[in-house]
Amino acid sequence: MKDLPLTRREFIRGTGGLGFLAFSGFAPSFLAQSALAQTPAPERDRSILVIIQLAGGNDGLNTVVPHTDDRYYNLRPGIGLQKNLLNINEDLALHPACQELYHLYNEGNLSIIQNVGYPNPNRSHFRSTEIWETGSDSDTFQREGWLGRFLDNACSGSPTADSDPAAVHVSDMIPQSYLSDRSHSLFGMNAYGKFDRSDDPADLAYEKLLQADHIEGNATYLQQTMMNTLVTERRVERIIAKYKAQANYPNTKLAQSLKRVAALVHANMETRVYYVSQSGYDTHANQLNNHQRLLSELSAAMGAFQNDLNAHRKDDQVITMTFSEFGRRPAENGSGGTDHGTAAPLFVMGSKVKGGLLGSAPDLGISEKEDLEYATDFRGIYSSVIDKWLEADSSKILGDKFDHVPFI
Amino acid sequence: MSYAKPTPQTFSVEDAWKPLPAGFWRVDTAQHLLRRMGFSATPKAVKSALKKSPKHSIEQAFKPNALMPKSEALAEFESTIHTRYREIYGGDYDSDQKRIMSNKLRREDEKLFREYAMDWFVYARDPKHSAQEKFVLFLQDIFVVERPTVKECYALYNLQQTLREGTTIDYPELCKRVSRDPAMVRYLDLNKNTTRKPNENFARELFELFILGEGNYTEADIKEASRAFTGYRIKDRTDFFFQRNLHDKGVKTVFNEQGNWDGDEVIDITFRQPAAKTFLIRELIKFYLTEDTVPETYIEALGELWASNNFNLGYLLKTFFQSRLFFHPTYRGNLVKSPIHFYLGLCHDLNLDVVPFDSRLLRSMRIMGQDFYNPPNVRGWLYGEYWINSTTISGRRQIVDYLFSKINEKNLNGNEKRDLKRAREEKRGDFLVTDERLNQVLGTAVDDLAEHFTSYFITEHSRASYLEPLQSIMNDSKSEGATRRIRNAIIALLQSPAYNLS
Repeated sequence: MKDLPLTRREFIRGTGGLGFLAFSGFAPSFLAQSALAQTPAPERDRSILVIIQLAGGNDGLNTVVPHTDDRYYNLRPGIGLQKNLLNINEDLALHPACQELYHLYNEGNLSIIQNVGYPNPNRSHFRSTEIWETGSDSDTFQREGWLGRFLDNACSGSPTADSDPAAVHVSDMIPQSYLSDRSHSLFGMNAYGKFDRSDDPADLAYEKLLQADHIEGNATYLQQTMMNTLVTERRVERIIAKYKAQANYPNTKLAQSLKRVAALVHANMETRVYYVSQSGYDTHANQLNNHQRLLSELSAAMGAFQNDLNAHRKDDQVITMTFSEFGRRPAENGSGGTDHGTAAPLFVMGSKVKGGLLGSAPDLGISEKEDLEYATDFRGIYSSVIDKWLEADSSKILGDKFDHVPFI
Repeated sequence: MSYAKPTPQTFSVEDAWKPLPAGFWRVDTAQHLLRRMGFSATPKAVKSALKKSPKHSIEQAFKPNALMPKSEALAEFESTIHTRYREIYGGDYDSDQKRIMSNKLRREDEKLFREYAMDWFVYARDPKHSAQEKFVLFLQDIFVVERPTVKECYALYNLQQTLREGTTIDYPELCKRVSRDPAMVRYLDLNKNTTRKPNENFARELFELFILGEGNYTEADIKEASRAFTGYRIKDRTDFFFQRNLHDKGVKTVFNEQGNWDGDEVIDITFRQPAAKTFLIRELIKFYLTEDTVPETYIEALGELWASNNFNLGYLLKTFFQSRLFFHPTYRGNLVKSPIHFYLGLCHDLNLDVVPFDSRLLRSMRIMGQDFYNPPNVRGWLYGEYWINSTTISGRRQIVDYLFSKINEKNLNGNEKRDLKRAREEKRGDFLVTDERLNQVLGTAVDDLAEHFTSYFITEHSRASYLEPLQSIMNDSKSEGATRRIRNAIIALLQSPAYNLS
């Protein structure tokens, strides 16, 4: 069987009768540009951000546990954690399932930012996720996500002139964080399985039609996006198949997602932003077991990912940040769980982060019906990431200035 | 192949909205009309459209239909929900029991919502309803609500029905009906709007998203207008109810008009603003004609006509779809199909019934970016180019692949087995393309097949350039593997850029 084109260059050179340049007429811009060997300088070795979404609302008080505070146990007589806690200072400890994160924390490669939220919190999963993903105030609506606006600001020129996707997500759907005003090459994949079917004659047929002449306008736009997707699928598939991880990734969806991210980072893809997701944090009932499992999956996956990056000497280039749409109610409910709440801690991991505990702990001097009052605005964290890590201008992207949080 | 865009210099404003001259009513114009009004232009539909005038086709397409029936289960749920909630919260139960009971209600609601979504796909797939339902989708993208906020499935059904009943009425009247629709009342917090603590959410969207567009009102207008919409409440979780003693009867000044206005009067005042003449038309153009800007003078001219016809929606549709501007060659074959258009168009073009498995179909719609009744936010879906990215493209390719796959009944789960049984009992047709169908064309010359497929499935722009590759994919239609090669050619065509455009 003939070799399939794996890069745009090969696509254009037209091995195996693909001969794109062979016919005159309209050439889609990315092909034309690449054909002139004027590919823009690759943005290799640039800083990379990996986002882990904890979907459903992670319970902050049982993640970073205020175990010397009686009020914590009064609010949570049934689900307050007591045993095997991992002390990070005199008053606070990590959930016992967070072994790997604890290790990273002790080595200074994990920052824990406490009590993160935003004013006038919304307790709907959908709306609060949207607020986190767009970086908007809780009473304004934005379509574009904060990372989409980063791409709008950081990526110059036509998206199709880049040879790698600007952003990658490991999920069915595009995270709202990625929605942008201009179009960028995004790429989505699953945590498991193959997606390249280049050995399938049906795919070859599709490829053949894609190379037909198309009129200017949306037809060209579709053609470019489709070609990009096809080329990227093949490249990514090959990279993943060849990848030798230097760490033991558990067989969980999150860990396998991160393994794929590691493979792409290792292959020096130009991608600056990755997004993976872990679901199940909506622990309204029987929280103890469920939350234990979720955090141990999270911790093991993050630990393996960081070890892998370290072993491949890619750790200088990557930071990994978690977020969840909200924390949970300080007081437990009648089903051994917790209801939707407000602020919660989040983690930032990487050998370039400063490590340690940042922000102030939540005030538990509240009644049973009340919620935590946030201390650190999540957009302060975004602005630190944008300005200090991604080296862009956060005030342009977030539309306002927010106080930096010194974790980088 | 491209055409110069019409400008008032080359294409007079006066002529733009006049009906297409009879001599231009041909296969290409009929296809354009049918694809844009509905989801497809099958040869049969084109043939029958050409027997009569475009006007007749448009009238037929938007003729008020038998409305989409409400399922018995949904009606039952709606009529008992209030009592059932009262039972839960008024009864002598501890919080655990209450939780279990309300979870049960939520699960029922979720199940009914999915059934409703599937019923809708079946209803909209019927070519008799397609144009109407596409226009309902357009209206749903004006009067946006989101499933997670509104929650109750029957309220979503009812709002959609309000829009369906309103497809040919005067637009101000439709706005009034929507302002009293429980799903909208809840979505835009009208039920939280009181004299003492006004909630401006509804008034703002009324101006910005329903009637005028941004920049055509002041913050003071919003504040004053919200006072007129006080007293709008929902009774027993299901019905609109005007609570007179909560209504602010004081004098309000809206767009410089002073009086003790109520909500309906504010809507009438809003329609006296110049921007009301053109806002909806701009949205209509974006949805049905082009993402490019159309010269303002054309829009203003149609706005004047529409306003002098009481802002009647039936009039607007008839004038718009018959017009010379609508049929201008520059606007053909260049509009990205929405995921719903894409899927229902496939059903028409391949003569397939709707896939009976709700999890499969609804998930596909979500991956393609049009989760049923769940737009990303209050602005709705943006349509056009915004539908397209690598993830949604993969979603579109997957559904085409699925329609040409073979069903393995052994691998179906319990729900799917039940769905399949029901579909068979209802004598619904194929929902996947079988080899037997493909075999019917075996032996036909491949250049004829390529000619046939391109004129059947796609618009004229790409026909010429697709012929050669299609022939080469099929190679011949007799030798071993011909069925597979023909299948691959059709799949590729349905996944191609051209098929994604209307």
